[in-house]
Amino acid sequence: MPNVSLRQRLLLYVPSGFLLFFFVFPLIALVVLSFWQTENYKIVRELTLNNYVTLATEGAYITFFLRSLMMAVGVSVTLVVMAWPIAYFIVRYGGRYRIILSLLLVIPFLSGEVLRLIALQGMLGPAGLVNGMLVRMGAAPLRLIMYSNVASFIAFIYLYLPLVVTTVYLSLINFDFRLAHAANACGANRFRVFTEVVWPLNLSGTLVGFMLAFIPTLSASLVPRFLGGPNGTLYGMSMSQQFGESGTWALGAAMGVVLFLFSALALAILSFGVDLRRTGFTGMGRQ
Amino acid sequence: MSPHVSDAIAKWLLAAFVILVFAFLYMPIVHILFASLSSRPNFPYPPEFNFASYVRLSNNTVYQSAFLNSLLLASCTAVLSTVLGFLATIGVLRFGGRRALFYAILFAAPLFVSEIMLGISSMALYYLLFELQGNMVTAIIANAVHCFSFCFLIMAAMLYKYDWRMNEAAIVCGASPVRSFLEIMLPITWPAIMGSLITAFVLSLNGLDISFYLLGATPTMPSVAWGALRYGVKPELYALSTLINLVVFGLVLGLLVSIRLKRKDA
Repeated sequence: MPNVSLRQRLLLYVPSGFLLFFFVFPLIALVVLSFWQTENYKIVRELTLNNYVTLATEGAYITFFLRSLMMAVGVSVTLVVMAWPIAYFIVRYGGRYRIILSLLLVIPFLSGEVLRLIALQGMLGPAGLVNGMLVRMGAAPLRLIMYSNVASFIAFIYLYLPLVVTTVYLSLINFDFRLAHAANACGANRFRVFTEVVWPLNLSGTLVGFMLAFIPTLSASLVPRFLGGPNGTLYGMSMSQQFGESGTWALGAAMGVVLFLFSALALAILSFGVDLRRTGFTGMGRQ
Repeated sequence: MSPHVSDAIAKWLLAAFVILVFAFLYMPIVHILFASLSSRPNFPYPPEFNFASYVRLSNNTVYQSAFLNSLLLASCTAVLSTVLGFLATIGVLRFGGRRALFYAILFAAPLFVSEIMLGISSMALYYLLFELQGNMVTAIIANAVHCFSFCFLIMAAMLYKYDWRMNEAAIVCGASPVRSFLEIMLPITWPAIMGSLITAFVLSLNGLDISFYLLGATPTMPSVAWGALRYGVKPELYALSTLINLVVFGLVLGLLVSIRLKRKDA
């Protein structure tokens, strides 16, 4: 039927074309911009590697990058460790409250990064709830959670926990728990059932969750700017300053390319373990 | 210890952890709810019920124009990304064939590029091509790229069990393709479409990173809130934040009820 093939083409090509124009082309433009120069807030269209040389040699940028990388790895690993018990509980014992419990995770996620940071500031800040309580009880305020990397860490956990739990949840809900029972019946103890059946078969979904926390943390700019304090500058924050206050767009673009390449590298390494059909993401595994 | 008892212990330990985490997620939200209602926003306990900060918020003209801009941006983004996501979902699930996985990965790709990267790269493109600083249209498009992946995944997850033979049955019975879509497919897939619309609407309503680089001087709610943050948090911000949380809560609750009603019908 010619009609079907036309419709088929439209259905797949319209969104693909949209992504090509407004997702792929901008990334290409960023790469082009990164090989140019900015002088006096004007872009000079000459090919040069200066931006990358600056990024690779100047100590501050290297420090920012390593700090971002450590933060992203630490946050993502912590999130996976926290997300598993929650998702497991909802899937195994949630019963008819599964939908409510999973939607309760969505509400904080949807209220937006800025508003959630405002809320978190109300908890952690110098005049916030935690320190207010401590002072009222006669203790000294906790300096650790005010404008420090620890505060940033807590904020990242707070921001991305719903996303990671939801991905692990989607994976576990498509997992056939009869497999675990079968392993149990064959004499495996609980630990072996987990390490040899449940964990490997849900690894794909877990890795997707890991990446969904890792990538935004690696390029975060709002959290460190607001909560990071004097020693908390991260790479993404420095990048956004190149586009804002300092006006060195080309250098900022080069930082963007570095972040993108590192995200892609992490994605490539982890995607060895990912079988999208098993993530529960699109539900294709059950077809 | 019998396995039964240790199962129960594991279950209660997990439950305690889940309660703890939900408390962690919701404590800040509840805290600012009290703070917005109190005359002492830093330590609003015992809670009061004082609506002064809400009155100040509603009289603030900056927030009013920001609210209208955000509403326009979020509505257009929600419709655009849901329509594209719906096309993509049908395309992948029904006509994807052997390439289904390839297209699914392509459509999920924007999820793996952070919002700030989307913002600055779109800004770079428009600047290089048109020397353009960005406007509402470019902001809507860039937000739609980000929301599109969420829409696609939400609808794909809810539609993969959809029986396409129903559309064909309607056509065999004499309905036009448009009619079979309007009367068969749309009513059945309504919760998925609503879920996608709500998610895209709320994400673009509250997202700062993308709009910040593409809207220039046009204020939106997150950008006004961000600007106000630099001069210290004011109770008006708590009030704004609480209102948005209530709207999100209401939308999600509405979605839940509509899913429940749908199930009863079926």
